[in-house]
Amino acid sequence: MTIETVFLMVFALGSLTGAVAMFFLRHPMRVALALIGTMVSLAAIYAQLGMHVIAVFQVLVYVGAVMVFMIYAIMLLDVRDRSFTERFSPLLVAGLAGLLLLLGVLIDGLLRGQPFPAVDVPPDAFSVSTFAIVFMEQFWVYFALTAVLLLVAEIAASAVIDIRRRGQDVAAVRAERGDDHG
Amino acid sequence: MNGLLTLLVLLPLAGFLVNGLLGRRLGPVFVNVVGVGLPLAAFGVAVWAWRILEAGGGEPLIETVFTWALVGEHVFEVSFYLDRLSAVMALIVTGVGALIHIYSIGYMKGDESYARYFAYLNLFLFFMLLLVLGRSLLVLFVGWEGVGLASYLLIGFWFQDVDKARAGRKAFITNRVGDAGFLLGMFLIFTAVGTLEMDQINEAFAGGLIPVGIATAAGILLFIGATGKSAQIPLHVWLPDAMAGPTPVSALIHAATMVTAGVYLVARMSGVYLEAPAASTLIAVIGLLTAFLAATIALVQTDIKKVLAYSTISQLGFMFLALGVGAYAVAVFHLFTHAFFKAALFLGAGSVIHALNGEQDIRRMGGLSRRIPWTSGTFLVATAAIAGLPPLAGFFSKDEILWFALASGQGGAFWLWLLGSVTAFLTALYMFRLYWLVFLGRSRMAPEVAEHVHESPWPMTSVLVVLAVFSVIAGWFALPQYLAPLLPAPDLRFDWPILHWALIVFAVLVAVAGLVAAGVLYGNGGRRAEAIERRFARLYRVLAGKYYVDEIYERLLQRPWLWISDRVFLRLGDRILLDGSLHGLAALARRGAEVLARVQTGSLHWYAWMTLLGLVAVLIWMWRYV
Amino acid sequence: MDDTTFLLALSGMLFALGLVGVIVRRNLLVMLMFLELMLNGVILSLVVFTQMLGAEAGAVLVFLVFVVAAAEIAIAVPILLLLVRTGRTLDPGAYAGLKG
Repeated sequence: MTIETVFLMVFALGSLTGAVAMFFLRHPMRVALALIGTMVSLAAIYAQLGMHVIAVFQVLVYVGAVMVFMIYAIMLLDVRDRSFTERFSPLLVAGLAGLLLLLGVLIDGLLRGQPFPAVDVPPDAFSVSTFAIVFMEQFWVYFALTAVLLLVAEIAASAVIDIRRRGQDVAAVRAERGDDHG
Repeated sequence: MNGLLTLLVLLPLAGFLVNGLLGRRLGPVFVNVVGVGLPLAAFGVAVWAWRILEAGGGEPLIETVFTWALVGEHVFEVSFYLDRLSAVMALIVTGVGALIHIYSIGYMKGDESYARYFAYLNLFLFFMLLLVLGRSLLVLFVGWEGVGLASYLLIGFWFQDVDKARAGRKAFITNRVGDAGFLLGMFLIFTAVGTLEMDQINEAFAGGLIPVGIATAAGILLFIGATGKSAQIPLHVWLPDAMAGPTPVSALIHAATMVTAGVYLVARMSGVYLEAPAASTLIAVIGLLTAFLAATIALVQTDIKKVLAYSTISQLGFMFLALGVGAYAVAVFHLFTHAFFKAALFLGAGSVIHALNGEQDIRRMGGLSRRIPWTSGTFLVATAAIAGLPPLAGFFSKDEILWFALASGQGGAFWLWLLGSVTAFLTALYMFRLYWLVFLGRSRMAPEVAEHVHESPWPMTSVLVVLAVFSVIAGWFALPQYLAPLLPAPDLRFDWPILHWALIVFAVLVAVAGLVAAGVLYGNGGRRAEAIERRFARLYRVLAGKYYVDEIYERLLQRPWLWISDRVFLRLGDRILLDGSLHGLAALARRGAEVLARVQTGSLHWYAWMTLLGLVAVLIWMWRYV
Repeated sequence: MDDTTFLLALSGMLFALGLVGVIVRRNLLVMLMFLELMLNGVILSLVVFTQMLGAEAGAVLVFLVFVVAAAEIAIAVPILLLLVRTGRTLDPGAYAGLKG
């Protein structure tokens, strides 16, 4: 067993622990912290595999952007209602059965699968410079398109909120007037 | 000039479109200008085309408009064909048609569907010209169906009245029976000859290469079509009911032009019938029987228009008699004269009805000759013409028919002549009976009707006068001789001029006898006629019941068919099989949807769990089979 | 068991845990985070295959998934905010009426 494998094992265990912990923690903030732990462990695994670019972006995008946004939302919506007092949905047992089923099928498939033929990968295949060159030469159009989609999504989100707010204003005005028959 | 025939055909169509689309909005003056002007223009074009035809010495004018279909080596063209026969027909159609359009201005004045009336009338002219001028049987058939449609629309013109709408339907359906025969005949001829151009068909049959059996079958099938359109036994039942339409329509469509389409068809296809003596004999017998039976029915009818309707059937029977003995040109001659005096009679009847404010029962008329002198005078002329008094039009044509019925080498026989003469006597009798009951004697009108009797306006009376003049002079045109190059007279069994003269004198005597008999029977207020009616009460009932043909049809055809439609098609086929299976499918879909809708609970967790199940299923399937 | 198989098994487990977490947890925010966990499982398998085959396209695909995840959360959170503003709860059972 090489030292790389040992590190892989350690980080894998870390990510799995984080994922399992997410099930049992009651407060969403703690769940978020467990998820961040999982993500960082995964980033470490990526780095271990030599995909430094992806490891960096895993931390930057997921931990730095997505999860920060998430935590912001958690702090904004600090409601102590049924979702807080009762952790689990009515489908707890069914869900756990489904977990066993899915895991069984996945592992079964994994054990049956043929081993992949090994490909000679040059050691600097995923270095930043190689990746950047390939990325900007071949795939920039797709990425730009995705960015546009992202922009559209953001505009749509803000538009939804805006319409909703206006509708509420109209409803409020109507309620004041006392002619609530719309 | 090229395009002349196309123009002739399209003028009434333009009238139909313009009046049909715009007439209602632009008012009656516009409708008059378009609806009457275009038929008049069409008449002018027809005269022009006829003069070109004559300048060419009778050489047929052929105009191809467009190629309709190209099937293998067969070409189906829409082309127009003008020879002397179709020229005569086109002149009658447009001439009488234009006159009746003018008459309609007065008759239909103030009707709420004035524009629709003229649109339909123009549509009829269009289809009639298509029928007459078509070179191919196919084009003729389009016109044939088209005039049927126009007839249907105009019989049911006042469709708010259920009886009138039903009369239109009856005419349409009865004609379908004939049309089936027409179509079969057309198919047979196409199989035998390989073309539908009528001149080529005639040539092919004249060439003698077609077996007699096929000629006979084709002839009989086409004649079945003709019996439908021309109201011959056994398909005559629609014509009396067709009198539900406006009277000018009865004059134009159901007397002068459309019903003669069958005569035209047989004359046009004379090449086929010359090769089929059996079919010709059938035509002669059916024609004569129709003429005789219709004349007997006409004797006892009390509706002025019904009398004329049966008279039309009877006269059409005479024409078919002539066709059956090979005297095609004579049949067309009678068609020509009949168009004028029958149009005059119908329009005169229309004028009477107009004067009496809708009254049609001759038992409540009488003594009208002084009140409406123009109508009465023209009616008298036309009555004398149809009765066959010399020197009026009907005399010449009917005399020719009777002569050929006796002397023709193609099936002439003594009994044909005898029964024809009896029918001629009956014709004179019922026509003068009609004249007597309507115009002479004492008035039997209701007082409030009698007060308002008035002569019709000038558009109506002037047309009556023109038609009466033609009823006098139409017989002076030697039409059979004019058509002889096209439709030669049949060989005679015996050519004795003395006999011919004797027959002519006899025919005149017969007509006079009819006149006298009518005077005796009906001159005295009809008392003697009533006595005869009482003595032969049973015969009278049969005649008044029109031989119960309608009732027989109802028993034999209508009721079984209704039963089958109701039990088999409606209850079993439609309600149980079709509705049952469709409702079953709909119920299945609804039940299935109800079950599936329970899955959609609104719970996100449940949805996610279903996703998981689906995922597992996909994975298992993938690893098992991919 | 070599490293590749081990990492693929880890990826499958993360995905399965994420999906089941969506099923069993009651809090909407937590459910969203489990969605992110599912995405992370998928990304892991993508990375493993990419590294194994030496295909840059795989790395680009991972990038696209990052972007999609960011977009998803950027839309999901405002929707959640709106929901809570009207329903005053994070329990998805309270919004079952939205099925129409």
